[in-house]
Amino acid sequence: MAKFRAGVDIGGTFTDIVFLGADGRVLVRKVASTPSDYAKAVMEGLAQGIKDLGLSPQDIGEVGHGFTVATNAILEGKGERTALITTEGFRDVLELARIRTPRLYDLYYQKPPPLVERSLRFEVGERMTFQGEVLKPLDEASLEKVLDRIEASGVKSVAISLLHSYANPIHEERIAEAVKERLPDAILSVSSKLLPEMREYERTSTTVINAYVRPVVAKYLGDLSSELQKTGIRVPLTVMQSNGGLAPVESAIEKPIYCIESGPAAGVVGAYHLGKRLGIENVMTFDMGGTTAKASIIEDGEMLLAPEYEVGGGMSAGHRLLKGGGYILRVPSIDLAEVSSGGGSIAWVDKAGSLQSGPQSAGAVPGPVCYGRGGTEPTVTDANVTLGYLNPEHLLGGGFPLDADAARKALHDKVGIPLGMSDIEAANGVHLLVNSNMARALRAVSTERGRDPRRFTLVAFGGGGPIHAAGLAESLGITKIIIPPSPGVFSAFGLLFADLEHHFVQTHFKTFDQLDFDVANGILDRLREEGRSLLRAEGFDGSRQQVITQLDMKYVGQTSELTLAMPQTRFSLETLEEIGASYGVEHEKTYGYQAADPFQLVNIRVIARGLSEESRVPDRIVPIVAAAAPTSSEREVYFGQVGEWVKTPVVGRPSLKGHIDGPLVIEEYDSTTIVPPGWEASLDSSGDIALEKAG
Amino acid sequence: MTERQGLDPITRNIIKNYLESAADTMAVTVVRTARSLVVRDNMDFSTAIFNAEGDQVAQGLTLPFHMGAMQPALAAVREYFVDDIKPGDIFANNDPYEGASHLPDIFLFKPIFVNELLMGWTCVIAHQTDIGGRVAGGNACDNTEIYQEGLRLPPLKLYEEGELNKAVWRIIEKNVRVPDKVLGDIMAQLSAIRQGEKEVLRLVADHGLENLKNYMTDIIDYTERLTRAEIEDLPNGTWEFTDYVDDDGFSDDPIAIKLKLTIEADEILLDFTGTSPQAKGSINPNFAFTKSACYAALKNLTSPTVSANAGFFRPIKVIAEPGSYVYPQHPAPVAARGLGGFRVAHTVFGAMAQALPDKVPAAWGGGEIGASYGGYIDGKAFVFLEFNNDGPRGGGPYADGPDGATAPVTNQSNTPIESIEADQPLRITRYEYVADSGGAGKFRGGLGVIREYELTADEATVQIRSDRHKFLPWGAQGGSPGSQTHSILNPATENRELPSKFMMDVKKGDVYRSVQAGAGGYGDPLEREPEAVLKDVLLEKVTVEGAREYGVVVMGDGTSIDAAATKELRDKIGRERGPLSLEPKVVRASEIR
Repeated sequence: MAKFRAGVDIGGTFTDIVFLGADGRVLVRKVASTPSDYAKAVMEGLAQGIKDLGLSPQDIGEVGHGFTVATNAILEGKGERTALITTEGFRDVLELARIRTPRLYDLYYQKPPPLVERSLRFEVGERMTFQGEVLKPLDEASLEKVLDRIEASGVKSVAISLLHSYANPIHEERIAEAVKERLPDAILSVSSKLLPEMREYERTSTTVINAYVRPVVAKYLGDLSSELQKTGIRVPLTVMQSNGGLAPVESAIEKPIYCIESGPAAGVVGAYHLGKRLGIENVMTFDMGGTTAKASIIEDGEMLLAPEYEVGGGMSAGHRLLKGGGYILRVPSIDLAEVSSGGGSIAWVDKAGSLQSGPQSAGAVPGPVCYGRGGTEPTVTDANVTLGYLNPEHLLGGGFPLDADAARKALHDKVGIPLGMSDIEAANGVHLLVNSNMARALRAVSTERGRDPRRFTLVAFGGGGPIHAAGLAESLGITKIIIPPSPGVFSAFGLLFADLEHHFVQTHFKTFDQLDFDVANGILDRLREEGRSLLRAEGFDGSRQQVITQLDMKYVGQTSELTLAMPQTRFSLETLEEIGASYGVEHEKTYGYQAADPFQLVNIRVIARGLSEESRVPDRIVPIVAAAAPTSSEREVYFGQVGEWVKTPVVGRPSLKGHIDGPLVIEEYDSTTIVPPGWEASLDSSGDIALEKAG
Repeated sequence: MTERQGLDPITRNIIKNYLESAADTMAVTVVRTARSLVVRDNMDFSTAIFNAEGDQVAQGLTLPFHMGAMQPALAAVREYFVDDIKPGDIFANNDPYEGASHLPDIFLFKPIFVNELLMGWTCVIAHQTDIGGRVAGGNACDNTEIYQEGLRLPPLKLYEEGELNKAVWRIIEKNVRVPDKVLGDIMAQLSAIRQGEKEVLRLVADHGLENLKNYMTDIIDYTERLTRAEIEDLPNGTWEFTDYVDDDGFSDDPIAIKLKLTIEADEILLDFTGTSPQAKGSINPNFAFTKSACYAALKNLTSPTVSANAGFFRPIKVIAEPGSYVYPQHPAPVAARGLGGFRVAHTVFGAMAQALPDKVPAAWGGGEIGASYGGYIDGKAFVFLEFNNDGPRGGGPYADGPDGATAPVTNQSNTPIESIEADQPLRITRYEYVADSGGAGKFRGGLGVIREYELTADEATVQIRSDRHKFLPWGAQGGSPGSQTHSILNPATENRELPSKFMMDVKKGDVYRSVQAGAGGYGDPLEREPEAVLKDVLLEKVTVEGAREYGVVVMGDGTSIDAAATKELRDKIGRERGPLSLEPKVVRASEIR
């Protein structure tokens, strides 16, 4: 009988594995990632955990996986050599992109190299209009020539993206057929199938990314599946998608674009289910690691999806305005804002004598000065050690001692002396400044979207999240924080909580008075049936299928759409009235006004979700702790708002009883929670720490 | 200058971060709610926050060209209204002769009050698709006086103590050709300035009014110190440079922009004395915009961590003669002033390329192409406006200029072709790089872009503003200039070459081809790695013929280099051309080939 499920989350430095029992027992394993062959660390960690739990491989009932193979292939230029077939006159659409640069005032900016080089971008004679009429039929002779050249180039992966193919796919379909005839082994990615959505660059880029990473992802997931089989773990491998749902491995191989950057999504999914369990409708997530901090929101119990994101798009604050640094991927993904601030961010003093933090990071190597691995520049982690937030003897249960004196000295030399500040003022300054940088990510998902952050509960995780959560919350007016169990590996939990999910989209660019109900309802039926038949094939019967329909809408002439739930199952006059009304409300909420303008339907979206028979989230999570929890003690901790050192009690999570006023430090295996004066901490029955602002 | 008493630098940076991100929030609001292609897709707008005295504290990550343009427009508002500035007021200004830029750029300002006390301002400037006047799109080059250019809104109240001034609203509505787009964009501006106000008020709650006011001013002083420290690191001296605008669309006379740039200690002086007189046509940059273009250019030469606020302007002095091209006097037309601003920035870069020869890239290309189409379908007006504008970038000391990327003083986006076709009676029939358009160099200039527009309505008036047909984007350190701009009517049939600035009526099926100028190259073309030249040939970015300018001979199969012939050709070119001039210098297209 299957006793445990395993969540495997691969990061740049560590691979986190969480074993979750049906009774809520949890074992955490952190192993060093193996970039030359990621599967190696995964198999090693799984074997370790199975052994430590005294299980046999057959006891593992499911493996949920978040991986970075696709992202790395793109960032390192190691994907499959790919050809692109496009409309005559437009082969440079991919490389021109949106021509904006992601950085202002940078004379040496270079564009990311296109994933398909110019000599492998081929044009065929043909043209559609935006309404799907054939303006110029497909020129078969030009297609033949292109096929000759692709054949001669030896390329195996072929992307097809023609202008307005979302409105009429026949030319793309004919080309796909011709490619298959000529090159039976070619791997095809066709834009009208992957993303029948308006905007040629975004559609082409998405199709090309799919073509570029498909063979790489197929090999990785194929190898991992067979390794699992060999070991005796004969259960379905599921993969986290960037939209927060899981996908079976077969569909991840066919449409890898949905699974690029699956790690960050998993943390938000974890917070989503945590919120559901605790009955919290509005959650802001805060995930702080070594080099970046990420934020997202869950509003009225729903995760927010962004329609697109850029792979490798850089991590500057304000990234929503400065696009172009990466490869655009137009698939719904959890709306994350990211800033390049983390424990490794380096503190420095600029020419006018002002303190700055980042964007340079000491990374994992050499890392902060206190790691004693050769780092010489003071970092945020060094400041946190100096302030007494981190216990030099306790990280990873004492397995990773920190050199507090070295940290303090670096702050003294590089910050304190130039600014004429005491070491502790310098450390406090670095801590506050990095908070203000990270607050930009939190503001990007709240105030930038017209949301008041004070309505949200902050769920903080990642290595550094629980240290900085209270200070950040305070700067945004947030009064409640949850620190989930095992915050350092929280994302891996998300892999186990999520449901299987498939997303479909079709552009149907019509104003309401142009809308033909039969046609629109036909699209609805088709997308829903695609979803249901996939779910059937995966073993979900009708009662366990959840099918959600959404509409992307705007006022005529506006640029960006807002996504709304479709209020009825079919299009009718009454439905349109309801849609219009709810669009107005949503628009007002986001932008502060409603207009009297006509409505424009842009896309129809369907999400098909497979629901499990039993709950995927246990009521209570109980870590199986190898080492004993620290006994209660106390130490000197510096709190900026008090302006002095305070003798502060230190407790382990399990020994937190009742409501305890800050100041307080809560230490556990993979993280430390700081409760400043003015906040109180308590432990709920599920094992979560709740922090509340007093008064 | 020293730190103010009682203020700490960490709180200052925290407040600075917050205000800059608040200005970004305003910008996101504009993008999401705007109606026109030029604002929502081209992103021709900017956002900023000011202190009570009208000094800019923070700009959103928007257009560099607008960095210094908002402050003078606000100064004019404050000067006119003096004490008559009340809570709930919202001010508008688009008058180039009262601090604004050109008529299509409507500036909106909202004063922020706490307990009846004015403590700051928010601003959004947005380029409107149309502003009335004799030509749709508001960018005509062939106006001869400001009165032809459209609706002029001197500093006035769009809202009075929270009440919309309906008279102004209706005047705008009836004076522009596409009121849904223009008023829709104004609504987006209003949302954003209100959003910005909310953000600032939240800071007041956190830091207290007096404290925050002091910090807002301190942020500017700090930026000034940082800017001065950056300038001190530059070499002292005086450098001169002259760049040219082809003509004003009326006569063939070139317009010379003459600059003497002096760096001394921690200040920079830009002296435009000797520049040609103001033009008859409307490509004149008004003086506020000339200054803004100078700031945007110089901002590229200092650390990107320096904020875009009033402190950056203070150590930079710009002087020019009233009545000259860069300081036109009323009633000179200025509708297409963007073109002149780009050339002012080129002139600044040309002088800086001599001051910092190992840092400053060659000129970007582009040709400042602004295209507008206007007409009527079934009695309803349409106006299409886009800037197929400035970029590609010049070759630099470390790498080739990125092909097709925007110039460093602007950061506009292109417009999705599928959106244009769904929105406008136009079809884009071609959009691609132009081979051999980048100037040769050790690091070649970026390639220009071709874009073709076919009209699908029965008829329309097309109006084109462009330049660099005659004077080429200059190379640096021995690099060659980029290729010139072309405007061509119906390339497949009559293939008629059009002037740089024109307005004409077109019919259904007529195709206008716009060919951007390529960017200048950097360094001696003979020093470019032959392999890099071959790679460009394989990518069809440089032709086999074009490779010869680098002294590289490609074999008959087109895929490998003839090493012996290459050596011979390079020797020959080196012998015949004489010593290579390293100074940037503007050359005419007619002097080449």
